Amino acid sequence: MTAEVKKYTLEQVEALELAPGAEHENLEGWVPALASEDDLRQALEKAFDYRGDVTLTLKNGERIEAYIFNRRTGPTLAGSYVQYFTPSAPEKRQVSYAEIARIEFTGKDRAAGKHWEDWVKNYNERKAAGEKNIALAPEALG
Amino acid sequence: MAVPISQMWTVSTYVLKQKLTGRKRYPLVLMLEPLFRCSLACAGCGKVQYPPHILKKQLTPEECFAAVDECGAPMVSIPGGEPLLHPQIVEIVNGLIARKKYIYLCTNALELKKRLPEFTPSKYLTFSVHLDGQREHHDFSVCREGGYEIAVEGIREAVKRGFRVTTNATFFDGTDPNGVRAFFDEVMAMGVEGIVLSPGYSYDKAPDQNRFMGRARVRRLFRAILSNRKPSWKFNMSPLFLEFLMGKRNYECTPWGMPAYNIFGWQKPCYLLQEGYAESYKELLETTSWEEYGVASGNPKCANCMVSCGYETTAVIDGFGSVKGFLAMARGNFNLYRDQHALKLLSEPAAHGPLVQIEEPARSLEEANV
Repeated sequence: MTAEVKKYTLEQVEALELAPGAEHENLEGWVPALASEDDLRQALEKAFDYRGDVTLTLKNGERIEAYIFNRRTGPTLAGSYVQYFTPSAPEKRQVSYAEIARIEFTGKDRAAGKHWEDWVKNYNERKAAGEKNIALAPEALG
Repeated sequence: MAVPISQMWTVSTYVLKQKLTGRKRYPLVLMLEPLFRCSLACAGCGKVQYPPHILKKQLTPEECFAAVDECGAPMVSIPGGEPLLHPQIVEIVNGLIARKKYIYLCTNALELKKRLPEFTPSKYLTFSVHLDGQREHHDFSVCREGGYEIAVEGIREAVKRGFRVTTNATFFDGTDPNGVRAFFDEVMAMGVEGIVLSPGYSYDKAPDQNRFMGRARVRRLFRAILSNRKPSWKFNMSPLFLEFLMGKRNYECTPWGMPAYNIFGWQKPCYLLQEGYAESYKELLETTSWEEYGVASGNPKCANCMVSCGYETTAVIDGFGSVKGFLAMARGNFNLYRDQHALKLLSEPAAHGPLVQIEEPARSLEEANV
């Protein structure tokens, strides 16, 4: 947890009626400028939280399509790395922050959208039309 | 009391042993997620929003057994995703039974009736069927009409075949307490061993970000639901945890008590938050900044959480960790929690129709007795 996160007092917590939902950040398609070490660290932090694939371009030119599920940070970029899965390999992989030249949020953000509002609207319309067995199906895996 | 004596004995002796050996942090239930793939698309769930190649991955039985053996928890809950979509789930379950672990296989039951012949009834195996309420409420909650009917068919067949079965419900803002009480009558009539319930957690990746109750509203709702109980209702949960939900107890979170293991590793710090992963349970314990979590920490991500995976461990340790706690737990098993104020809450006009999640709350319930 970073220091700038607003903390609740115990009194505030106990009196909460509705929990504030999360504000979803639209990152799909984003290509952050990596001018400094801080830029890189912040971009990789967002990539870790992103529910879609990103494309990493390494300093040696290699491009990796990756779902980043973890990061381990140290005082240096060489001592920090992200862990990821690629669509084509079964095993976990990792790459040092120091090797990364560019990050592109290329994959679809699977947590984006107004699925619930869409569902309610869709349900009400289909119900009014007399349809039966209305359902929201998970996305096909291809 | 819904939990069998043998299971209570296993858990109580385990907790006492940890206490006697002075172990500060230990697991009570391993949340083993063998895959994230699911056959439903529930609005309140933030567990399944991943790219297809991640949803296609799954833990091998060997990885599951290694995690179970390393952490040593006496109970294993298998959520997901939908565990019955895992092609080797029978092998995983049988391996855990051989290790004498009490297993709660959490399922939406869409495939349960069909898959039951592959499983063998055992005191170690419970099917925990996701059922969020009465027919219309459940179907709307899981975004699938007919889902309730299929789940109930699975429950009835599992009970008939001699399996241990519980139902598992999550409640969000707008839940009608009278509807929930009628739902309790329905599921007990199906012959289930007990009911499991929890308020929803505000997953930041869930599609619906507007229906998560804060702690004050959770306490009022559960006071209305769980007071003035019918003797026929059985809960497969710690009675002290239920008292916590009703606002009769204050507890702090025990995030290390129900650690989560999945394809990414050991999840930090708990089943609900994803702040990183460790390679081993030992590393999870040693490298997580535990003081940054729980309601006392002020962490906004923990602010509204009263979920069983954080607080039921606290209640169980309280119940088995002292004579006072044990007596309170024993009393709780037989207490019907007579409460005039809760009756008044129930007699107020219903704020919602049967599809409770469509409409905005028209009024708030009264404050609970914390």
